[in-house]
Amino acid sequence: MNRLASLERKERPFDPMPKPTSPSEEGGGPKRPDTGSPDKDSLMKRMKKVDPKQAERYRQRTGQ
Amino acid sequence: MRLFGLETEYGITREDLASVDPVVESMELVRAHLAATFERTWDYSGEDPREDARGFRAAHLQQDREEDEFAKLDAHRPFSFHEMKSDLVLPNGARFYNDHTHPEYSTPECRTLIDLIAHDRAGERIVQRAAARRNQALGGPHVQLYKNNTDFHGHSYGCHDNYLLPRSIPFDRISAGLLPFLVSRQIIAGAGKVGIEAQEQGFQPTAYQLSQRADFMETELSVDTMHNRPIVNTRDEPHADRSKYRRLHLIAGDANMCEYATALKVGTTRLVIDLIVRGDAPSMEIEDPVAAIKLISRDPELKQLVRRASGGTISGLELQAVYYGAAKQALAGNDEETDWILREWGETLALLAADRDQLVGRLDWVTKLWLLDTFVREERIAWNDPWLASLDLEYHNVNPERGLFLGLEAERKTVRLTKDDAIDAAMTAGPSDTRGGIRGQCVRRFPDQIKTIQWERVQFTGGLLPKVLDLGDLFEPDAVRMLSSILGTAGSPTEAITMWNQRKVQR
Repeated sequence: MNRLASLERKERPFDPMPKPTSPSEEGGGPKRPDTGSPDKDSLMKRMKKVDPKQAERYRQRTGQ
Repeated sequence: MRLFGLETEYGITREDLASVDPVVESMELVRAHLAATFERTWDYSGEDPREDARGFRAAHLQQDREEDEFAKLDAHRPFSFHEMKSDLVLPNGARFYNDHTHPEYSTPECRTLIDLIAHDRAGERIVQRAAARRNQALGGPHVQLYKNNTDFHGHSYGCHDNYLLPRSIPFDRISAGLLPFLVSRQIIAGAGKVGIEAQEQGFQPTAYQLSQRADFMETELSVDTMHNRPIVNTRDEPHADRSKYRRLHLIAGDANMCEYATALKVGTTRLVIDLIVRGDAPSMEIEDPVAAIKLISRDPELKQLVRRASGGTISGLELQAVYYGAAKQALAGNDEETDWILREWGETLALLAADRDQLVGRLDWVTKLWLLDTFVREERIAWNDPWLASLDLEYHNVNPERGLFLGLEAERKTVRLTKDDAIDAAMTAGPSDTRGGIRGQCVRRFPDQIKTIQWERVQFTGGLLPKVLDLGDLFEPDAVRMLSSILGTAGSPTEAITMWNQRKVQR
Protein backbone atom coordinates (compact mmCIF):
# COMPACT_ATOMS: atom_id res chain seq x y z
CA MET A 1 0.00 0.00 0.00
CA ASN A 2 2.78 2.41 0.92
CA ARG A 3 4.55 1.38 -2.24
CA LEU A 4 1.54 2.51 -4.22
CA ALA A 5 1.31 5.72 -2.26
CA SER A 6 4.83 6.70 -3.22
CA LEU A 7 4.44 6.12 -6.92
CA GLU A 8 4.97 9.00 -9.29
CA ARG A 9 2.45 9.46 -12.04
CA LYS A 10 3.75 7.83 -15.19
CA GLU A 11 0.95 8.53 -17.57
CA ARG A 12 -2.39 10.25 -17.54
CA PRO A 13 -5.46 8.96 -19.32
CA PHE A 14 -7.29 11.26 -21.69
CA ASP A 15 -8.94 14.12 -19.84
CA PRO A 16 -12.59 13.11 -19.55
CA MET A 17 -13.21 15.35 -16.56
CA PRO A 18 -16.52 17.17 -16.94
CA LYS A 19 -16.50 20.92 -16.42
CA PRO A 20 -18.80 22.67 -13.92
CA THR A 21 -21.95 24.04 -15.46
CA SER A 22 -23.13 27.57 -14.97
CA PRO A 23 -26.40 28.06 -13.03
CA SER A 24 -28.26 28.61 -16.30
CA GLU A 25 -27.12 25.18 -17.52
CA GLU A 26 -28.22 23.27 -14.43
CA GLY A 27 -31.36 21.90 -16.04
CA GLY A 28 -33.93 20.20 -13.83
CA GLY A 29 -31.52 19.09 -11.13
CA PRO A 30 -31.81 19.94 -7.44
CA LYS A 31 -31.02 23.47 -6.31
CA ARG A 32 -27.87 24.08 -4.34
CA PRO A 33 -28.57 24.80 -0.67
CA ASP A 34 -27.26 27.87 1.05
CA THR A 35 -24.36 26.43 3.04
CA GLY A 36 -22.59 29.51 4.30
CA SER A 37 -21.97 28.00 7.72
CA PRO A 38 -23.82 25.87 10.25
CA ASP A 39 -26.35 27.85 12.25
CA LYS A 40 -24.45 28.94 15.34
CA ASP A 41 -27.56 29.04 17.50
CA SER A 42 -28.83 25.55 16.78
CA LEU A 43 -26.51 23.14 14.99
CA MET A 44 -23.28 24.23 16.68
CA LYS A 45 -25.15 24.10 19.98
CA ARG A 46 -26.26 20.58 19.11
CA MET A 47 -22.66 19.63 18.27
CA LYS A 48 -21.32 21.04 21.52
CA LYS A 49 -23.82 18.92 23.46
CA VAL A 50 -22.31 15.70 22.04
CA ASP A 51 -20.39 13.84 24.73
CA PRO A 52 -16.70 13.76 23.67
CA LYS A 53 -16.47 10.18 24.98
CA GLN A 54 -19.55 8.92 23.16
CA ALA A 55 -17.62 7.13 20.39
CA GLU A 56 -15.27 5.60 22.93
CA ARG A 57 -18.23 3.95 24.69
CA TYR A 58 -20.03 2.94 21.49
CA ARG A 59 -19.48 -0.77 20.84
CA GLN A 60 -21.10 -2.98 18.25
CA ARG A 61 -20.69 -6.54 17.15
CA THR A 62 -19.51 -7.22 13.63
CA GLY A 63 -22.30 -7.17 11.08
CA GLN A 64 -22.30 -7.94 7.41
CA MET B 1 -35.46 -4.59 -16.63
CA ARG B 2 -34.48 -2.24 -13.82
CA LEU B 3 -34.82 -3.07 -10.16
CA PHE B 4 -32.81 -2.18 -7.09
CA GLY B 5 -33.03 -2.02 -3.31
CA LEU B 6 -31.04 -1.13 -0.21
CA GLU B 7 -30.44 -3.12 2.97
CA THR B 8 -29.29 -1.05 5.93
CA GLU B 9 -27.96 -2.51 9.17
CA TYR B 10 -28.30 0.10 11.91
CA GLY B 11 -25.99 0.55 14.85
CA ILE B 12 -27.85 0.32 18.16
CA THR B 13 -26.97 1.29 21.70
CA ARG B 14 -28.51 1.74 25.15
CA GLU B 15 -27.15 4.84 26.85
CA ASP B 16 -28.44 3.84 30.29
CA LEU B 17 -26.44 0.62 30.44
CA ALA B 18 -22.72 0.14 30.91
CA SER B 19 -22.83 -3.08 28.92
CA VAL B 20 -25.26 -3.49 26.03
CA ASP B 21 -26.43 -6.82 24.60
CA PRO B 22 -27.00 -5.96 20.92
CA VAL B 23 -28.76 -9.24 20.17
CA VAL B 24 -31.47 -8.57 22.75
CA GLU B 25 -31.66 -4.85 21.99
CA SER B 26 -32.04 -5.43 18.25
CA MET B 27 -34.70 -8.07 18.84
CA GLU B 28 -36.61 -5.83 21.23
CA LEU B 29 -36.37 -2.90 18.84
CA VAL B 30 -37.87 -4.85 15.95
CA ARG B 31 -40.64 -6.16 18.20
CA ALA B 32 -41.40 -2.63 19.37
CA HIS B 33 -42.70 -2.08 15.85
CA LEU B 34 -45.47 -4.61 16.48
CA ALA B 35 -48.82 -3.84 18.07
CA ALA B 36 -49.48 -7.59 18.53
CA THR B 37 -47.26 -10.51 19.51
CA PHE B 38 -44.62 -11.72 17.09
CA GLU B 39 -45.63 -14.55 14.76
CA ARG B 40 -43.07 -16.12 12.50
CA THR B 41 -44.00 -15.91 8.81
CA TRP B 42 -40.67 -15.25 7.05
CA ASP B 43 -39.71 -18.16 4.80
CA TYR B 44 -35.94 -18.72 4.74
CA SER B 45 -36.04 -21.34 1.97
CA GLY B 46 -34.81 -18.86 -0.65
CA GLU B 47 -31.66 -18.03 1.32
CA ASP B 48 -28.31 -19.72 0.91
CA PRO B 49 -25.51 -17.20 1.51
CA ARG B 50 -22.85 -19.85 0.78
CA GLU B 51 -23.86 -20.18 -2.88
CA ASP B 52 -21.15 -18.47 -4.95
CA ALA B 53 -21.77 -16.81 -8.32
CA ARG B 54 -18.45 -18.21 -9.53
CA GLY B 55 -20.08 -21.63 -9.72
CA PHE B 56 -19.52 -23.35 -6.39
CA ARG B 57 -20.85 -23.45 -2.85
CA ALA B 58 -18.54 -22.34 -0.04
CA ALA B 59 -17.94 -24.94 2.68
CA HIS B 60 -18.49 -22.31 5.34
CA LEU B 61 -18.62 -18.55 5.84
CA GLN B 62 -15.79 -16.82 7.66
CA GLN B 63 -16.06 -14.80 10.84
CA ASP B 64 -13.38 -13.39 13.10
CA ARG B 65 -12.22 -14.90 16.40
CA GLU B 66 -14.29 -12.50 18.44
CA GLU B 67 -17.47 -13.54 16.63
CA ASP B 68 -16.53 -17.22 17.14
CA GLU B 69 -16.59 -16.59 20.86
CA PHE B 70 -19.86 -14.66 20.70
CA ALA B 71 -21.42 -17.49 18.66
CA LYS B 72 -20.70 -19.95 21.47
CA LEU B 73 -22.59 -17.70 23.89
CA ASP B 74 -25.42 -17.14 21.41
CA ALA B 75 -25.99 -20.89 21.24
CA HIS B 76 -27.16 -20.86 24.86
CA ARG B 77 -29.60 -17.97 24.65
CA PRO B 78 -33.12 -18.60 25.97
CA PHE B 79 -34.80 -18.00 22.62
CA SER B 80 -34.80 -19.70 19.23
CA PHE B 81 -33.09 -18.54 16.05
CA HIS B 82 -36.44 -17.43 14.61
CA GLU B 83 -37.39 -15.57 17.76
CA MET B 84 -34.02 -13.84 17.69
CA LYS B 85 -34.42 -12.83 14.04
CA SER B 86 -37.99 -11.56 14.61
CA ASP B 87 -38.45 -11.19 10.86
CA LEU B 88 -41.25 -8.86 9.81
CA VAL B 89 -42.66 -7.96 6.41
CA LEU B 90 -44.17 -4.51 6.57
CA PRO B 91 -47.24 -3.14 4.76
CA ASN B 92 -44.88 -1.35 2.35
CA GLY B 93 -43.23 -4.61 1.28
CA ALA B 94 -40.03 -3.94 3.24
CA ARG B 95 -38.31 -6.47 5.50
CA PHE B 96 -37.49 -5.35 9.05
CA TYR B 97 -35.63 -7.78 11.29
CA ASN B 98 -32.71 -8.42 13.57
CA ASP B 99 -29.85 -9.36 11.28
CA HIS B 100 -27.71 -11.12 13.84
CA THR B 101 -26.99 -8.12 16.08
CA HIS B 102 -28.23 -5.16 14.11
CA PRO B 103 -31.74 -3.97 13.27
CA GLU B 104 -31.91 -4.19 9.49
CA TYR B 105 -34.34 -2.46 7.19
CA SER B 106 -34.48 -3.75 3.61
CA THR B 107 -36.42 -1.53 1.25
CA PRO B 108 -38.97 -3.08 -1.06
CA GLU B 109 -37.71 -3.48 -4.61
CA CYS B 110 -37.80 -0.16 -6.47
CA ARG B 111 -37.73 0.73 -10.15
CA THR B 112 -36.91 4.43 -9.88
CA LEU B 113 -34.39 6.36 -7.82
CA ILE B 114 -37.02 8.67 -6.43
CA ASP B 115 -38.96 5.67 -5.07
CA LEU B 116 -35.78 4.19 -3.64
CA ILE B 117 -34.85 7.39 -1.82
CA ALA B 118 -38.37 7.68 -0.40
CA HIS B 119 -38.22 4.08 0.85
CA ASP B 120 -34.72 4.48 2.29
CA ARG B 121 -35.90 7.55 4.21
CA ALA B 122 -39.08 5.69 5.20
CA GLY B 123 -36.81 3.03 6.70
CA GLU B 124 -35.03 5.65 8.83
CA ARG B 125 -38.35 6.85 10.20
CA ILE B 126 -39.75 3.36 10.79
CA VAL B 127 -36.70 2.23 12.80
CA GLN B 128 -36.71 5.53 14.72
CA ARG B 129 -40.43 5.11 15.46
CA ALA B 130 -39.65 1.65 16.85
CA ALA B 131 -36.90 3.21 19.00
CA ALA B 132 -39.34 5.82 20.31
CA ARG B 133 -41.81 3.08 21.29
CA ARG B 134 -39.05 1.06 22.93
CA ASN B 135 -37.88 4.15 24.83
CA GLN B 136 -41.40 4.83 25.98
CA ALA B 137 -41.49 1.33 27.45
CA LEU B 138 -38.06 1.81 29.02
CA GLY B 139 -39.06 5.15 30.51
CA GLY B 140 -36.39 7.33 28.92
CA PRO B 141 -34.52 8.10 25.69
CA HIS B 142 -32.07 5.25 26.21
CA VAL B 143 -32.02 3.53 22.81
CA GLN B 144 -30.23 5.39 20.01
CA LEU B 145 -29.87 4.22 16.41
CA TYR B 146 -27.14 5.08 13.94
CA LYS B 147 -27.30 4.81 10.16
CA ASN B 148 -23.56 4.31 9.81
CA ASN B 149 -21.11 1.45 9.27
CA THR B 150 -18.57 1.45 12.08
CA ASP B 151 -18.19 1.55 15.86
CA PHE B 152 -14.67 3.08 15.71
CA HIS B 153 -13.35 -0.05 17.41
CA GLY B 154 -12.87 -2.21 14.32
CA HIS B 155 -16.44 -3.53 13.95
CA SER B 156 -18.32 -2.79 10.77
CA TYR B 157 -21.89 -3.42 9.64
CA GLY B 158 -23.23 -2.93 6.18
CA CYS B 159 -25.42 -1.01 3.82
CA HIS B 160 -25.82 -3.29 0.82
CA ASP B 161 -27.07 -2.16 -2.58
CA ASN B 162 -28.78 -4.75 -4.75
CA TYR B 163 -29.49 -4.86 -8.48
CA LEU B 164 -31.40 -7.32 -10.68
CA LEU B 165 -29.44 -8.53 -13.70
CA PRO B 166 -29.99 -11.09 -16.45
CA ARG B 167 -28.41 -14.44 -15.54
CA SER B 168 -26.97 -14.53 -19.07
CA ILE B 169 -24.26 -11.97 -18.21
CA PRO B 170 -21.17 -13.94 -17.05
CA PHE B 171 -20.17 -13.07 -13.50
CA ASP B 172 -16.50 -12.53 -14.39
CA ARG B 173 -17.59 -9.83 -16.85
CA ILE B 174 -19.65 -8.19 -14.12
CA SER B 175 -16.85 -8.23 -11.54
CA ALA B 176 -14.20 -7.01 -14.01
CA GLY B 177 -16.41 -4.12 -15.10
CA LEU B 178 -17.33 -3.16 -11.54
CA LEU B 179 -14.05 -3.36 -9.62
CA PRO B 180 -12.41 -0.09 -10.78
CA PHE B 181 -15.74 1.68 -10.50
CA LEU B 182 -16.35 0.49 -6.93
CA VAL B 183 -12.80 1.31 -5.88
CA SER B 184 -13.53 4.93 -6.81
CA ARG B 185 -17.30 5.24 -6.13
CA GLN B 186 -16.53 6.41 -2.59
CA ILE B 187 -15.45 9.85 -3.85
CA ILE B 188 -19.17 10.41 -4.42
CA ALA B 189 -20.85 7.96 -2.05
CA GLY B 190 -18.47 7.82 0.91
CA ALA B 191 -20.10 8.78 4.21
CA GLY B 192 -16.83 10.14 5.65
CA LYS B 193 -15.00 8.84 8.72
CA VAL B 194 -12.73 10.23 11.40
CA GLY B 195 -9.69 7.98 11.81
CA ILE B 196 -8.54 4.65 10.45
CA GLU B 197 -9.53 1.21 11.75
CA ALA B 198 -9.46 -2.40 10.73
CA GLN B 199 -10.82 -5.62 12.08
CA GLU B 200 -9.06 -6.73 15.26
CA GLN B 201 -6.65 -3.79 15.04
CA GLY B 202 -8.80 -1.13 16.65
CA PHE B 203 -9.08 2.57 15.98
CA GLN B 204 -6.29 4.95 15.06
CA PRO B 205 -7.45 8.55 15.49
CA THR B 206 -5.79 10.37 12.66
CA ALA B 207 -7.11 12.47 9.86
CA TYR B 208 -10.33 12.20 7.94
CA GLN B 209 -11.15 9.72 5.17
CA LEU B 210 -13.89 9.47 2.55
CA SER B 211 -15.38 6.11 3.42
CA GLN B 212 -16.53 4.18 6.47
CA ARG B 213 -16.21 0.78 4.78
CA ALA B 214 -12.93 1.04 2.82
CA ASP B 215 -10.88 0.03 5.88
CA PHE B 216 -12.82 -3.23 6.00
CA MET B 217 -12.32 -4.33 2.38
CA GLU B 218 -9.86 -7.21 2.45
CA THR B 219 -10.19 -8.97 -0.89
CA GLU B 220 -11.46 -8.41 -4.42
CA LEU B 221 -14.03 -11.21 -4.69
CA SER B 222 -15.60 -13.38 -2.03
CA VAL B 223 -18.89 -14.82 -0.87
CA ASP B 224 -18.10 -13.67 2.68
CA THR B 225 -19.61 -10.60 4.30
CA MET B 226 -18.48 -10.65 7.96
CA HIS B 227 -14.76 -11.31 7.58
CA ASN B 228 -12.35 -11.02 4.67
CA ARG B 229 -14.92 -8.70 3.10
CA PRO B 230 -14.80 -8.30 -0.69
CA ILE B 231 -15.15 -5.27 -2.94
CA VAL B 232 -17.43 -7.41 -5.14
CA ASN B 233 -19.52 -9.89 -3.17
CA THR B 234 -20.10 -13.16 -5.02
CA ARG B 235 -23.17 -14.33 -3.10
CA ASP B 236 -25.57 -15.96 -5.52
CA GLU B 237 -29.04 -15.56 -4.01
CA PRO B 238 -31.16 -14.22 -6.87
CA HIS B 239 -34.43 -14.10 -4.91
CA ALA B 240 -35.98 -14.60 -8.35
CA ASP B 241 -36.19 -17.25 -11.07
CA ARG B 242 -32.60 -18.53 -10.97
CA SER B 243 -32.65 -19.59 -14.62
CA LYS B 244 -33.25 -16.01 -15.76
CA TYR B 245 -31.85 -13.65 -13.16
CA ARG B 246 -29.05 -12.90 -10.78
CA ARG B 247 -28.98 -10.38 -7.93
CA LEU B 248 -25.85 -8.32 -7.64
CA HIS B 249 -25.29 -7.88 -3.90
CA LEU B 250 -22.73 -5.13 -3.23
CA ILE B 251 -21.38 -4.71 0.29
CA ALA B 252 -18.60 -2.15 -0.22
CA GLY B 253 -20.78 0.93 0.10
CA ASP B 254 -21.49 3.22 3.04
CA ALA B 255 -24.90 4.06 4.47
CA ASN B 256 -25.71 7.57 3.28
CA MET B 257 -27.65 10.27 5.07
CA CYS B 258 -27.69 12.63 2.05
CA GLU B 259 -30.50 11.74 -0.33
CA TYR B 260 -28.43 13.05 -3.22
CA ALA B 261 -25.50 10.74 -2.35
CA THR B 262 -27.79 7.72 -2.15
CA ALA B 263 -29.29 8.62 -5.52
CA LEU B 264 -25.87 8.96 -7.14
CA LYS B 265 -24.50 5.82 -5.46
CA VAL B 266 -27.27 3.64 -6.82
CA GLY B 267 -27.84 5.64 -10.01
CA THR B 268 -24.23 5.57 -11.19
CA THR B 269 -23.91 1.89 -10.29
CA ARG B 270 -27.04 1.16 -12.28
CA LEU B 271 -25.56 2.94 -15.31
CA VAL B 272 -22.30 1.00 -15.00
CA ILE B 273 -24.29 -2.24 -14.87
CA ASP B 274 -26.08 -1.11 -18.04
CA LEU B 275 -22.66 -0.57 -19.64
CA ILE B 276 -21.54 -4.06 -18.59
CA VAL B 277 -24.72 -5.65 -19.93
CA ARG B 278 -24.24 -3.85 -23.26
CA GLY B 279 -20.54 -4.72 -23.43
CA ASP B 280 -19.63 -1.03 -23.27
CA ALA B 281 -17.86 -0.90 -19.87
CA PRO B 282 -14.43 0.80 -19.95
CA SER B 283 -11.51 -1.56 -20.33
CA MET B 284 -9.77 -0.74 -17.08
CA GLU B 285 -7.95 -2.82 -14.50
CA ILE B 286 -6.43 -1.66 -11.21
CA GLU B 287 -3.29 -3.53 -10.15
CA ASP B 288 -4.28 -3.88 -6.48
CA PRO B 289 -7.93 -2.89 -5.93
CA VAL B 290 -7.88 -3.65 -2.18
CA ALA B 291 -4.94 -1.30 -1.60
CA ALA B 292 -6.46 1.22 -4.00
CA ILE B 293 -9.82 1.47 -2.24
CA LYS B 294 -8.04 2.29 1.03
CA LEU B 295 -5.59 4.74 -0.54
CA ILE B 296 -8.33 6.64 -2.33
CA SER B 297 -10.44 6.74 0.84
CA ARG B 298 -7.61 8.20 2.89
CA ASP B 299 -7.03 11.22 0.66
CA PRO B 300 -9.82 13.82 0.90
CA GLU B 301 -7.84 16.02 -1.50
CA LEU B 302 -8.49 13.36 -4.17
CA LYS B 303 -4.91 13.54 -5.44
CA GLN B 304 -3.95 9.96 -4.56
CA LEU B 305 -2.85 7.88 -7.53
CA VAL B 306 -3.25 4.12 -7.84
CA ARG B 307 -1.48 1.86 -10.31
CA ARG B 308 -3.25 0.51 -13.37
CA ALA B 309 -2.57 -3.11 -14.33
CA SER B 310 -1.56 -1.96 -17.79
CA GLY B 311 1.00 0.47 -16.34
CA GLY B 312 0.72 4.07 -15.30
CA THR B 313 -1.41 5.53 -12.56
CA ILE B 314 -4.83 7.09 -12.16
CA SER B 315 -6.72 8.96 -9.44
CA GLY B 316 -10.15 8.10 -8.08
CA LEU B 317 -11.56 11.20 -9.68
CA GLU B 318 -10.11 10.23 -13.04
CA LEU B 319 -11.44 6.68 -12.69
CA GLN B 320 -14.93 8.00 -12.10
CA ALA B 321 -14.56 10.37 -15.03
CA VAL B 322 -13.66 7.46 -17.32
CA TYR B 323 -16.84 5.61 -16.30
CA TYR B 324 -18.88 8.79 -16.57
CA GLY B 325 -17.57 9.39 -20.07
CA ALA B 326 -18.41 5.85 -21.19
CA ALA B 327 -21.91 6.09 -19.69
CA LYS B 328 -22.57 9.45 -21.32
CA GLN B 329 -21.47 8.17 -24.69
CA ALA B 330 -23.49 4.95 -24.55
CA LEU B 331 -26.57 5.81 -22.50
CA ALA B 332 -27.40 9.52 -22.88
CA GLY B 333 -30.97 10.07 -24.02
CA ASN B 334 -32.16 6.59 -23.00
CA ASP B 335 -34.69 7.94 -20.50
CA GLU B 336 -35.29 10.84 -18.13
CA GLU B 337 -33.75 9.17 -15.08
CA THR B 338 -30.60 8.17 -16.98
CA ASP B 339 -30.15 11.75 -18.15
CA TRP B 340 -30.64 13.05 -14.59
CA ILE B 341 -27.96 10.68 -13.29
CA LEU B 342 -25.56 11.64 -16.07
CA ARG B 343 -26.06 15.35 -15.51
CA GLU B 344 -25.61 15.16 -11.74
CA TRP B 345 -22.72 12.69 -11.97
CA GLY B 346 -20.84 14.97 -14.33
CA GLU B 347 -21.60 18.06 -12.26
CA THR B 348 -20.50 16.32 -9.06
CA LEU B 349 -17.17 15.22 -10.54
CA ALA B 350 -16.56 18.71 -11.85
CA LEU B 351 -17.28 20.27 -8.45
CA LEU B 352 -15.13 17.72 -6.63
CA ALA B 353 -12.27 18.82 -8.83
CA ALA B 354 -12.94 22.56 -8.66
CA ASP B 355 -15.08 23.65 -5.70
CA ARG B 356 -16.17 20.86 -3.39
CA ASP B 357 -17.79 23.15 -0.82
CA GLN B 358 -20.67 23.44 -3.28
CA LEU B 359 -21.34 19.77 -2.52
CA VAL B 360 -22.12 20.39 1.15
CA GLY B 361 -25.60 19.00 1.71
CA ARG B 362 -25.23 16.68 -1.27
CA LEU B 363 -22.35 14.32 -0.43
CA ASP B 364 -21.96 12.97 3.09
CA TRP B 365 -18.17 12.97 3.28
CA VAL B 366 -18.03 16.59 2.14
CA THR B 367 -20.85 17.64 4.46
CA LYS B 368 -19.38 15.90 7.51
CA LEU B 369 -15.92 17.31 6.81
CA TRP B 370 -17.38 20.81 6.53
CA LEU B 371 -19.19 20.40 9.86
CA LEU B 372 -16.12 19.03 11.62
CA ASP B 373 -13.85 21.69 10.14
CA THR B 374 -16.20 24.36 11.45
CA PHE B 375 -16.24 22.72 14.88
CA VAL B 376 -12.45 22.36 15.03
CA ARG B 377 -12.10 26.07 14.31
CA GLU B 378 -14.81 27.13 16.76
CA GLU B 379 -13.60 24.97 19.62
CA ARG B 380 -9.90 25.25 18.80
CA ILE B 381 -9.35 21.51 19.12
CA ALA B 382 -6.94 19.26 17.24
CA TRP B 383 -7.95 16.79 14.56
CA ASN B 384 -6.98 13.86 16.77
CA ASP B 385 -9.35 14.98 19.54
CA PRO B 386 -11.69 12.06 20.41
CA TRP B 387 -14.61 14.50 20.36
CA LEU B 388 -14.50 14.37 16.55
CA ALA B 389 -15.21 10.62 16.39
CA SER B 390 -18.21 11.23 18.67
CA LEU B 391 -19.44 13.99 16.36
CA ASP B 392 -18.90 11.64 13.41
CA LEU B 393 -21.09 9.05 15.14
CA GLU B 394 -23.77 11.60 15.99
CA TYR B 395 -23.93 12.77 12.36
CA HIS B 396 -25.65 9.42 11.70
CA ASN B 397 -28.09 9.39 14.62
CA VAL B 398 -31.59 8.98 13.14
CA ASN B 399 -33.21 10.64 16.14
CA PRO B 400 -34.30 14.03 14.70
CA GLU B 401 -33.72 15.71 18.06
CA ARG B 402 -30.07 14.64 18.15
CA GLY B 403 -28.73 13.67 14.72
CA LEU B 404 -26.32 16.21 13.24
CA PHE B 405 -27.27 15.47 9.65
CA LEU B 406 -30.96 15.70 10.51
CA GLY B 407 -30.24 18.99 12.28
CA LEU B 408 -28.58 20.28 9.15
CA GLU B 409 -31.52 19.08 7.10
CA ALA B 410 -33.90 20.92 9.43
CA GLU B 411 -31.88 24.09 8.69
CA ARG B 412 -32.48 23.42 4.96
CA LYS B 413 -28.78 23.08 4.30
CA THR B 414 -29.13 19.75 2.49
CA VAL B 415 -30.47 18.87 -0.93
CA ARG B 416 -33.81 17.06 -0.72
CA LEU B 417 -34.99 14.87 -3.58
CA THR B 418 -38.08 13.68 -1.71
CA LYS B 419 -40.98 15.41 -0.04
CA ASP B 420 -42.23 14.41 3.39
CA ASP B 421 -45.58 13.26 2.04
CA ALA B 422 -43.77 10.87 -0.33
CA ILE B 423 -41.84 9.44 2.63
CA ASP B 424 -45.07 9.13 4.62
CA ALA B 425 -46.63 7.26 1.69
CA ALA B 426 -43.56 4.98 1.46
CA MET B 427 -44.02 4.07 5.12
CA THR B 428 -47.42 2.58 4.36
CA ALA B 429 -47.28 1.17 0.80
CA GLY B 430 -44.67 -0.17 -1.62
CA PRO B 431 -43.92 1.01 -5.16
CA SER B 432 -46.91 0.57 -7.47
CA ASP B 433 -44.74 -0.86 -10.27
CA THR B 434 -42.72 -3.58 -8.50
CA ARG B 435 -43.37 -6.85 -6.72
CA GLY B 436 -42.38 -5.05 -3.51
CA GLY B 437 -45.68 -3.20 -3.77
CA ILE B 438 -47.50 -6.51 -4.32
CA ARG B 439 -45.87 -8.03 -1.23
CA GLY B 440 -46.97 -5.06 0.85
CA GLN B 441 -50.47 -5.23 -0.61
CA CYS B 442 -50.72 -8.89 0.47
CA VAL B 443 -49.74 -7.86 4.01
CA ARG B 444 -52.35 -5.09 4.08
CA ARG B 445 -55.15 -7.00 2.34
CA PHE B 446 -54.87 -10.48 3.86
CA PRO B 447 -52.75 -10.09 7.02
CA ASP B 448 -54.32 -13.04 8.86
CA GLN B 449 -54.10 -15.46 5.93
CA ILE B 450 -50.36 -15.32 5.25
CA LYS B 451 -48.68 -18.59 6.18
CA THR B 452 -45.19 -17.72 4.90
CA ILE B 453 -43.72 -14.82 3.00
CA GLN B 454 -40.36 -13.91 1.46
CA TRP B 455 -38.92 -11.98 -1.48
CA GLU B 456 -40.20 -14.23 -4.26
CA ARG B 457 -43.37 -15.84 -2.96
CA VAL B 458 -46.31 -15.53 -0.57
CA GLN B 459 -48.03 -18.65 0.73
CA PHE B 460 -51.54 -18.32 2.17
CA THR B 461 -53.24 -20.48 4.77
CA GLY B 462 -56.40 -22.55 4.56
CA GLY B 463 -57.68 -25.39 2.37
CA LEU B 464 -56.01 -28.61 1.35
CA LEU B 465 -53.97 -27.28 -1.55
CA PRO B 466 -51.17 -24.74 -1.08
CA LYS B 467 -52.09 -21.27 -2.25
CA VAL B 468 -48.88 -19.74 -3.44
CA LEU B 469 -48.46 -16.39 -5.14
CA ASP B 470 -45.21 -16.72 -7.08
CA LEU B 471 -43.31 -13.42 -7.51
CA GLY B 472 -40.08 -14.94 -8.85
CA ASP B 473 -40.58 -13.62 -12.37
CA LEU B 474 -42.86 -10.65 -11.73
CA PHE B 475 -40.82 -7.72 -13.02
CA GLU B 476 -42.91 -6.18 -15.81
CA PRO B 477 -44.69 -3.06 -14.49
CA ASP B 478 -47.88 -3.80 -16.46
CA ALA B 479 -48.07 -7.28 -14.96
CA VAL B 480 -47.50 -5.85 -11.48
CA ARG B 481 -50.34 -3.38 -11.94
CA MET B 482 -52.65 -6.10 -13.24
CA LEU B 483 -51.96 -8.28 -10.20
CA SER B 484 -52.37 -5.29 -7.92
CA SER B 485 -55.79 -4.61 -9.42
CA ILE B 486 -56.80 -8.23 -8.83
CA LEU B 487 -55.59 -8.17 -5.21
CA GLY B 488 -57.52 -4.98 -4.65
CA THR B 489 -60.86 -6.51 -5.57
CA ALA B 490 -60.58 -10.25 -4.85
CA GLY B 491 -62.50 -11.49 -1.84
CA SER B 492 -59.83 -13.97 -0.79
CA PRO B 493 -56.27 -15.03 -1.61
CA THR B 494 -57.65 -18.10 -3.41
CA GLU B 495 -59.83 -15.94 -5.64
CA ALA B 496 -56.91 -13.59 -6.33
CA ILE B 497 -54.51 -16.40 -7.26
CA THR B 498 -57.12 -18.08 -9.47
CA MET B 499 -57.86 -14.84 -11.31
CA TRP B 500 -54.16 -14.04 -11.66
CA ASN B 501 -53.38 -17.49 -13.09
CA GLN B 502 -56.20 -17.07 -15.62
CA ARG B 503 -54.94 -13.64 -16.67
CA LYS B 504 -51.39 -14.96 -17.05
CA VAL B 505 -52.63 -17.66 -19.45
CA GLN B 506 -54.54 -15.02 -21.44
CA ARG B 507 -51.42 -12.82 -21.65
